Amino acid sequence: MANNDAKVSISGQPPVYSNPDVGSFDIVATYHRLLADDPELTMPMATIEALIEALGASSATTVFETMNLVEAQSDRLRQSPLVANPMAVRHGSDFFKQYLIRELRQLPSSGGAASGSESRNEDQQFSVIRQHLLRNARLFATRAKDTREQIASQGRHLIADKSIILTHGASRVVRTLLERAIERVNGDPPRRFKVIYALGDGRRAESEKVVAALRAKGISVATIPETGVAHVMSKVTLVLTGAEVITAQGGIIGQLGTYQIAKLAKADGKPFYVAAEQHKLGQTFPGDQFRFGCSGFEQNLLTYFSSKTASSTAAETETDDEKRARKVRSATPLDFTPPDLITNFICDHGVKATVELEHQAIDMFLG
Amino acid sequence: MSTTTAAPPAEVKPKILEKPQKAPAVAQPSPNGESQTKGENAAPPPAPKLTGAELKAKAKAEKQARRAQVKAAKDATPGGAPAPASSAQSNHPTADSKGNKAKGKPDGAPSASSGATGRTAGSRGSVPTIPPKPESSIPECFSHLSMAKRLPITQADKDVHPAVLALGQHMATFAIDESITRLKATLLAFKKVIDSYTTPPGNTLARHLTPHVLNPQIEYLSACRPMCFSMGNAIRWLKLQVSKIDPDVPDAEAKKELCASIDAFIQERINFADVVITQKAADYIGEDDVVLVYGRNTLVEQVLLHAHRVAGKKFDVIVIDDPYERQGQVLAKALSAEGVEVSYSGDFGALRFHVQCADVILLGAEGMFSNGALYARCGTSDLAIAGKDFGKKVYALCETINITDRVSTDSLTYNEIDPERCSGSSFRLLYDTTPSHYLSTVVTEISSAQPTSVSYLLRKLEDSN
Repeated sequence: MANNDAKVSISGQPPVYSNPDVGSFDIVATYHRLLADDPELTMPMATIEALIEALGASSATTVFETMNLVEAQSDRLRQSPLVANPMAVRHGSDFFKQYLIRELRQLPSSGGAASGSESRNEDQQFSVIRQHLLRNARLFATRAKDTREQIASQGRHLIADKSIILTHGASRVVRTLLERAIERVNGDPPRRFKVIYALGDGRRAESEKVVAALRAKGISVATIPETGVAHVMSKVTLVLTGAEVITAQGGIIGQLGTYQIAKLAKADGKPFYVAAEQHKLGQTFPGDQFRFGCSGFEQNLLTYFSSKTASSTAAETETDDEKRARKVRSATPLDFTPPDLITNFICDHGVKATVELEHQAIDMFLG
Repeated sequence: MSTTTAAPPAEVKPKILEKPQKAPAVAQPSPNGESQTKGENAAPPPAPKLTGAELKAKAKAEKQARRAQVKAAKDATPGGAPAPASSAQSNHPTADSKGNKAKGKPDGAPSASSGATGRTAGSRGSVPTIPPKPESSIPECFSHLSMAKRLPITQADKDVHPAVLALGQHMATFAIDESITRLKATLLAFKKVIDSYTTPPGNTLARHLTPHVLNPQIEYLSACRPMCFSMGNAIRWLKLQVSKIDPDVPDAEAKKELCASIDAFIQERINFADVVITQKAADYIGEDDVVLVYGRNTLVEQVLLHAHRVAGKKFDVIVIDDPYERQGQVLAKALSAEGVEVSYSGDFGALRFHVQCADVILLGAEGMFSNGALYARCGTSDLAIAGKDFGKKVYALCETINITDRVSTDSLTYNEIDPERCSGSSFRLLYDTTPSHYLSTVVTEISSAQPTSVSYLLRKLEDSN
């Protein structure tokens, strides 16, 4: 990448690439490094940061080149077999593209200039935006963390006195919300509530860390295996969960088990709230549990076999990529919770009904 | 005309010509003559409003007079207007001989002409049958429901364009049936109307075209068969386009502009919409799924064919047919010819069994209300309710032009009576309304959405236009 920069500075005139060169930059590795470095980072935000880094590593200077680059890199990331949740990647890159387009629209266009010099001018102004982006790469992430605090201040009003909250998973939003609710904030007295935490088998260590963190904050937490959710549901006042992705119809894609809890909550008539940042919203439109509406994404949790037959005939025919994808995805399985099971979303700008998020998704699409 | 717009007329024309061939072919000459004389007739201010009977009598008299005049004019100027005149002449004898069958002479037997309906699926239009006189027999509480009727061409307003005349007959006989095909044919016919229009001196196009030329066409079409929601939407749009035309723009240019925007409208809201919906809906069909469909709907058929041919998916189809139409047989044949495994059920017997076997239910829409209720072929709601019972995914496919801003919660507020099954004691409705909570998803060209968000889609569309 240093090589590219040198080329630009020597010639003075930026070279024109139809397909922007990113050198040896590896967006998939960058994405995973970002996620590993900062456990507070959400997947769409990590996507955006990785895309900004790709921008920095590239020689793209014009609007067209940059959009091309963002498109190509996000496709690459989305189709990588190592990415556990390509829907989140898609939503992050869509969000970023929209941000870029919005910035471009706001550019003051020089009215009287000829069209040729105008686009030249636009490109120059765009390079200003680009510089700004590169310098403030962390801005998206820090802002996203602020929204978590906003959600926490919105969500505390939903916690009635002496309520019992059922939750699961390791959502950072939910954790922040609960931690703030137990504190006195701006004269608002702390909420009195208890938490039932459904422990999943798959992510035991992660879950136990969350439980320990909550208990350290002074929240009384009881744990129950996920198989016991129906058993305790009658004691629960409300269910609170996070999401990895908010889908276009106002549902969520989240850690496996969310759908089941939502169904049980619905059956017992308990409110089911989802605390999630709005940047998780995007165009993914799952048809059902087995079709998440994301090309290339397949999560096959069902492997039929008996001790008398070979485990699976498909396993032999699949390529290396498919094998890796299956390994990554079976480590963090997902399910889809349709909007009719969700009472409300707790978002950055308030408590929202599922339809409102659906409308926002339509707005995003229509631009 | 651009190249993109050249295709649609070619697609529709054969459809227009295939069914009751006699009527339009014979009908052409005389209205053609009319359009020649129309310029003179339209110039004086329109006559004061008369009652229906008077109007009819007057129209009849006028028509006869005009016909004589045209005949005389034709005989007098053999080389005058080459194409229409010569075709009229060559057709003249046939017109006389066939008149009783298809056109109906003003003094002849009009009942015979109105009887050339024939809506039976197999032998449509070949054997003239006399439809019952239903107006009197429908109970008063259902009097708001309208019915298609074969209006004799002679009774049509003199300003009705021949293309529209033919189209009206096709609609009345259900040769052109589906909402979206009716819309497309209507827009193409209106293009011809606009094309042959000249603004009379002392008028402006923006003010004259709609009330004096478009409205008679629309009235005639809705007399032949009640307009569907998409036609209503498109006509409202067209009138708006006409009213926007600058009075200083010369006639030819304004007409060109109008025709171009109609072409763009067809391309965008019908052709392109169908492509997008087809692709999207095909995505919802999974490998090894069983897809349940009802009757035959062009869009649903396209989706199934796309999923099979282009997406290369393997799936089975269950076709449940409307016992009154049997159009599902056409679909079943088309699919099995393509190599898709099809089970066919001629009626709703074992409906719940079939629904239980299915994974996905695809429904075609005739229209969509803004509360998310689906307006579709009668029987659709039974299917959707059964689908919901078994937790199956129910997809409704609908172009946004079919969405109306009206609201309906039952099947009787808006509906149509089957003209072939209407007696004093009973009648059959053509459509029913499926409440939104029986549908999982509405697939439109803008986006797939929950049915309750349909009104939001509509609002967004209006904002963007």
